[in-house]
Amino acid sequence: MTPENTIRTAPHGILVETTSAPASTADGRQDPRPPEPTSPNTATPPTPTPRPRRLPSPIRPSAFGTQDAMILIMAAVSSLCLVWVVFYQLTSLSGGLGFLVCWYIGFVALTWIATAQVIERQVATDRAVAVVVVSAAMLIVAIVVFIVAWVAYKAIPSIHWGSLFTKDQKSFVVTDPNALDHVGVVHAVIGTLEQVLVAVLIGVPFAIATAVYLNEVKGWGVKTVRTVVTAMSGTPSVVAGIFIYSMLILTHVLTYSGFAASLALVVILLPSVTRVVEEVLRVVPSGLREASLALGAPEWRTVWSVVLPTARSGVVTAVLLGIARIVGETAPLLFTAFGSQVVNWRGYFNHDQGALPLVIFSDVRQAQPVLINLAFQAAFVLMSIVLVLFVLARIFSRPKGKNGKRMKPGPNDDDLMARLFVPIPIEQNEENR
Amino acid sequence: MTTTLSSTSPADADHPTPFTGTPELGQPGQVDAHDVCAWFGGRLVLETVDLVMEKSKVTALIGPSGCGKSTFLRIINRMHEVVPGAQLAGSVKLDGVDIYGPGQRAMETRRHIGMVFQKPNPFPAMTIAENVLAGLKFSRVSPADKDDLIEESLTKGGLWNEVKDRLGELGGALSGGQQQRLCIARSLAVKPRVLLMDEPCSALDPTSTLRIEQTIKEIASEVTVVIVTHNMQQAQRVSDYCAFFLAEENQPGRVIEAGKTGTIFGSPTDQRTFDYVNGQFG
Ligand SMILES: Nc1ncnc2c1ncn2[C@@H]1O[C@H](COP(=O)(O)OP(=O)(O)O)[C@@H](O)[C@H]1O
Ligand SMILES: [Mg+2]
Repeated sequence: MTPENTIRTAPHGILVETTSAPASTADGRQDPRPPEPTSPNTATPPTPTPRPRRLPSPIRPSAFGTQDAMILIMAAVSSLCLVWVVFYQLTSLSGGLGFLVCWYIGFVALTWIATAQVIERQVATDRAVAVVVVSAAMLIVAIVVFIVAWVAYKAIPSIHWGSLFTKDQKSFVVTDPNALDHVGVVHAVIGTLEQVLVAVLIGVPFAIATAVYLNEVKGWGVKTVRTVVTAMSGTPSVVAGIFIYSMLILTHVLTYSGFAASLALVVILLPSVTRVVEEVLRVVPSGLREASLALGAPEWRTVWSVVLPTARSGVVTAVLLGIARIVGETAPLLFTAFGSQVVNWRGYFNHDQGALPLVIFSDVRQAQPVLINLAFQAAFVLMSIVLVLFVLARIFSRPKGKNGKRMKPGPNDDDLMARLFVPIPIEQNEENR
Repeated sequence: MTTTLSSTSPADADHPTPFTGTPELGQPGQVDAHDVCAWFGGRLVLETVDLVMEKSKVTALIGPSGCGKSTFLRIINRMHEVVPGAQLAGSVKLDGVDIYGPGQRAMETRRHIGMVFQKPNPFPAMTIAENVLAGLKFSRVSPADKDDLIEESLTKGGLWNEVKDRLGELGGALSGGQQQRLCIARSLAVKPRVLLMDEPCSALDPTSTLRIEQTIKEIASEVTVVIVTHNMQQAQRVSDYCAFFLAEENQPGRVIEAGKTGTIFGSPTDQRTFDYVNGQFG
């Protein structure tokens, strides 16, 4: 077939009209259209207002039309019928998952066949691939939504808001039917916040410094360090816990404590933040560094006043994502913070401390429904913290507007430069000498 | 004599004083380049350049691409050594003081010899005003009156009238031509004695180009200007002196001819210069 198919959804004749605008005004069969926008410099002078010219209505030649939607719907329905017949009438197969998979395969195949029949084969392949890609994306969204919804469903009905954030678990009595009135996760929230905060305070400066080293310093060490950092980011988090446990706790340098947990979390935080910050710094145009050096700035000044501020949103995003990464870590806490039933504000350095992941880990395996509920509530709180972090990361990764205010996400929102940096309108490639 | 950049070149017996903090800051300076050679990763790209850039004058460096004009310019303010594997030889004197002499620091030199690059590169995270003051901030000098300095520098850069009401906006919010003038103003704010410009107009439209040429003429009384340009008309319009660089096939770049702009364009002695300035180049 011919390429005309790609513009088949356009009303007939409209392409002719775009080239001969006066003709379309004469016969007037177009829809009412918005008046032509007047530009500001033609608005003020006393020239007669231009005769309102009727514009042809805009079209999108490749738009997805009713016909295409119908093909998809028909393919879905046909596949359903076909698979139903095959599954339950011809053979005696059963099982929801198998049915679903067969239906999906039938759906894609029928979409291809129908499109190939109605339109053409090239378009059919295009459509079928689009269906697969879109459904993969939708599946991921569905899984995430399902997890969130499931935890919320398990947690919210049993939450006693009065006690969740005010009480710890020390007054839990197995026989008490109203036990949820007396227990909460405040000890775990405090523990998690302290552990993560200290891990960030220790880890982030190191991570940024390492990223600066990897990016701004030249020499033999860079490759080695980068390899080490990459290897470190592959360290299983349980190994980070064992490391701190055997190095510091077995040797009695530290006891089980929040601080030991923080150190284990630093081991996990360092490589991930370093790698992201390094990527972000790499995209800062080298012309800015040269401009700074040419003004007589020392190298540290260049990094501090030019490179890092230019990449600031990106660095903030990297840190927030790093926090989101460690806040839910469980394995390294098992033999460092160890877990506790009671609030422990001050014993951060020398006492067992609770943490949200530990509450989930230990309580969800208990027999008492109250504790299981509490585990789900802790999971819900943890998820909310991560959600807040991600929202913050999104906000910070938005480009800044003229007055330094963050702009609403625009069409270029997915552009790395636009998201991670303050706007640089002139295209800055590598200096071409 | 090849000098790796990590080691300093031999002392200049005549002028051992570093020019750090000399009262001449802000006065135009004269640059004498003597026997300058340059290497990139062991490859000679510039050979024995002898050139004097007169005080308060505009010197244009012309020549085809790849003949070492940028390299030469970057040697003058010690930006060459930023490139890994770059080496150089020879001496460059600013008002008689060898900038590669012992005790001379690259940062100090760059403060006296400013540079404007081909691509406008205002600092995107800073406002227009902060961009102008960036050089002073970097060298930890606080001017007596910041507002005066901002106005003075932007006026010299030919940008004041356009931005005086929006000094708090980010530098990246300007058009390309305005950005380049902001970069010129930023360089002028530290009151350099020499201003190097590497094809400052090649990324700009004709109107912006004219404005920048105008700026160059205006600032020439206060600062010696060295400008690289591929535009013959521009070289004729703005420069007092002209140097023609050429790198023949598989040869390092050399200065073929240098002299008054009128002479170079009117009656060059070398046939290659004649061909180049008349657009009959190979
Ligand atoms: N960073 C670099 N690394 C290696 N070679 C370079 C580098 N910069 C420039 N060169 C080489 O040096 C020579 C001169 O370049 P350049 O000074 O930029 O020329 P021009 O500015 O006159 O066009 C060219 O042959 C170029 O390939
Ligand atoms: Mg060049």
